[in-house]
Amino acid sequence: MTTRQRLDLLAHAYPRLFPRAELVRLLRAQLGQVDALDKWIPLDGVRVRARAPKIIYHICAGNLAVSAWTSLAHGLLLGARNVVKLPGDRDDSSARREILDFIRGLPVPLRKLVETHRTLDTDLLRRADAVIAFGSDATMGHLRAQVRWEQKFIAHGHALSLLWLADPNRLTTRQARACATDIQTYDQLGCLSPQAIYVPPGTDFEALGRKLARALEAHWRGLKKKPARPLSVAARIAEARDMAHALGQRIWLPPKNHFGWTLIHDPDPAFQPSPLHGVIYLRQAAPAHLRAALASVAGRISTVGMAGHLPARWENVFLSLGVGRFCAAGRMQFPPLTWHHDGRPSLGDLVTWVDAESLA
Amino acid sequence: MPLPHDFAQPSVRRDWTRQLLGPITEAKWNELARDLFHWQFAQAPAYRRLCLAYGVTPEKLISWRDIPAVPQQLFKQTLLYAHDSAPPAAIYVTSGTNTGQPGRQHLLATDIYRAVAVEGARRAGFLADDVELHFLTPSPGEAPYSSLSAMFGFWQKAFRQTGPRFWVRRGHFEFGRLREILATQIKTRRPGRGLRPIAICGTAFSFVHLLDAWAGLPPLRLPRGSRLLETGGFKGRSREISKAELHAQLARTFGVRDNAIWNEYGMSELSSQAYARGTNGLHQTPPWARVLVVDPATGREVGIGKKGLVRWFDLANTDSVLALQTLDLAERTAHGFRLIGRLPRTEPRGCSLSAEDIVARNITSTP
Repeated sequence: MTTRQRLDLLAHAYPRLFPRAELVRLLRAQLGQVDALDKWIPLDGVRVRARAPKIIYHICAGNLAVSAWTSLAHGLLLGARNVVKLPGDRDDSSARREILDFIRGLPVPLRKLVETHRTLDTDLLRRADAVIAFGSDATMGHLRAQVRWEQKFIAHGHALSLLWLADPNRLTTRQARACATDIQTYDQLGCLSPQAIYVPPGTDFEALGRKLARALEAHWRGLKKKPARPLSVAARIAEARDMAHALGQRIWLPPKNHFGWTLIHDPDPAFQPSPLHGVIYLRQAAPAHLRAALASVAGRISTVGMAGHLPARWENVFLSLGVGRFCAAGRMQFPPLTWHHDGRPSLGDLVTWVDAESLA
Repeated sequence: MPLPHDFAQPSVRRDWTRQLLGPITEAKWNELARDLFHWQFAQAPAYRRLCLAYGVTPEKLISWRDIPAVPQQLFKQTLLYAHDSAPPAAIYVTSGTNTGQPGRQHLLATDIYRAVAVEGARRAGFLADDVELHFLTPSPGEAPYSSLSAMFGFWQKAFRQTGPRFWVRRGHFEFGRLREILATQIKTRRPGRGLRPIAICGTAFSFVHLLDAWAGLPPLRLPRGSRLLETGGFKGRSREISKAELHAQLARTFGVRDNAIWNEYGMSELSSQAYARGTNGLHQTPPWARVLVVDPATGREVGIGKKGLVRWFDLANTDSVLALQTLDLAERTAHGFRLIGRLPRTEPRGCSLSAEDIVARNITSTP
């Protein structure tokens, strides 16, 4: 099967997740040409062709299925044998089931390239040409100790994202809705999910809170399938709300206090992790203080979603904190396939190259 | 509405303790809870804010069950102390593992804590006059911020125990010396005469280290009536073994039955404790403390046989807040509650860490 055939099959099975044109762009951007795996292509006076890994071992995170889908799509495009270590069952995430559903939805020729495991097969892990792993830092450390030195080990540890509002006092309804989309998509469980909204000094929090609360409620109501709130999730949401009440923080809650979303204005600019599942903190910081406010998560900020233009002095602070992606609010959860996940070319990282120089 | 009591007054505290240790009817419980709630609502601003958010005030309170409970985590974020600027006689610090931000429980005086900690263990049946106590923790003098060491110190004094009793000294587990003393006692027992029962108390984690230190040594056979008390869980940082496995290993190592192994469930933020006997024992609170197993989504008690979170109401906790919401998972039963453990992914916390810290700092134990 050629790359184009695999590409067509994947795009046909999942046209919204993996549009054909985007897959083509991804291959061109990271391998030079769509056919780089199948034939020699000219490059700067020599001919090169890409070589795909034979076996890719995917270790999936338990919080979110979409990262596994994408990782698997990369492996399928490359035509590798894809071994998937499924996450364990969790009451606050349906990732495991969704990964299996995705695999079942693949056309047979692609499905044949995938096998799933419930437990880590260390022998297979060590035989794989590449290991792509999602999970906690501890998991990454544990896995790194098990792989061979010449194996490709692509680790995606913990990361988080932020929203930034250029002019919160004039936030439009559309921008507020875009923020709500970013917050509530995937129940805020991924590394692209914002955990805090940063605003510049001079913000009218009452007005902003009202706007965002309206947008959050509208988005929640519009969700066809609302995320579950099992005991462990409800406990964390309730705790975050009670903490905010006791600390005297301004809190906006949904009608009848349902557990869909929670908006809290924490006057402390220093980033604190959100319990996720729709709990988002509003924090105010001037550019001069932003670096200190985000120091605890420097190097871990995946994406900054922006409502409005980001001035250079803000951009410089974010860049110095290691932010890996800037995008418009509302697009945080939907990066293009060409996105450099954790700053790396996802597909390009997996292949090796063969060079054929001219004999003349 | 005037305050019913001023818990800063020693006479009030004495009278309160007397009431707690006396007979408590349902009506009396409600009255005491209401009075203490009134005091803490007036004295602790953070608690008052939480109560107002729920629309609960002393004037509106009907049942103790409606008293808002503070998240345990709040002790890490703010001071919950009902005596304003009065200096506390004791500050107990929670472990704050991972976050590096410990919680603090301030007590104006340790009088009430001492009284209920001793009486609670005695009424549960764990403490008795004839029992010789040993503790796998530092002494209160060495660990002044540990509520567990403090409690063990209260027990030691209340039961007039002399000689070495605390087997963590200057950061070392002294399991070797403890074993020597126990073995000598057992060996020198005179025929026909019984030995005092022995009680060994410590965190689950310290017991794991004891088992590791004594691995390969022959089991001891503690005298009849001896008992062990473990508390605190493993806090996600130690070599974790299941509770059933820990109890089984302890039973073998000390020659005691499963129902001689107790679990104490308490925390630095509270003054009272619940006790369970045996691996599958139910936890029971003393009369002056109650536990509701609640659904966090509704804040209401779950039905019998259902799982929920432990919410404490502790009438002895006069100096901070009487109602505490934990993230500890439990099953409500008809006669108590069955503690299941901490919610997954809850940050490790609790008194077990002091022993864990000892190991983390590469301080050794003697076998």
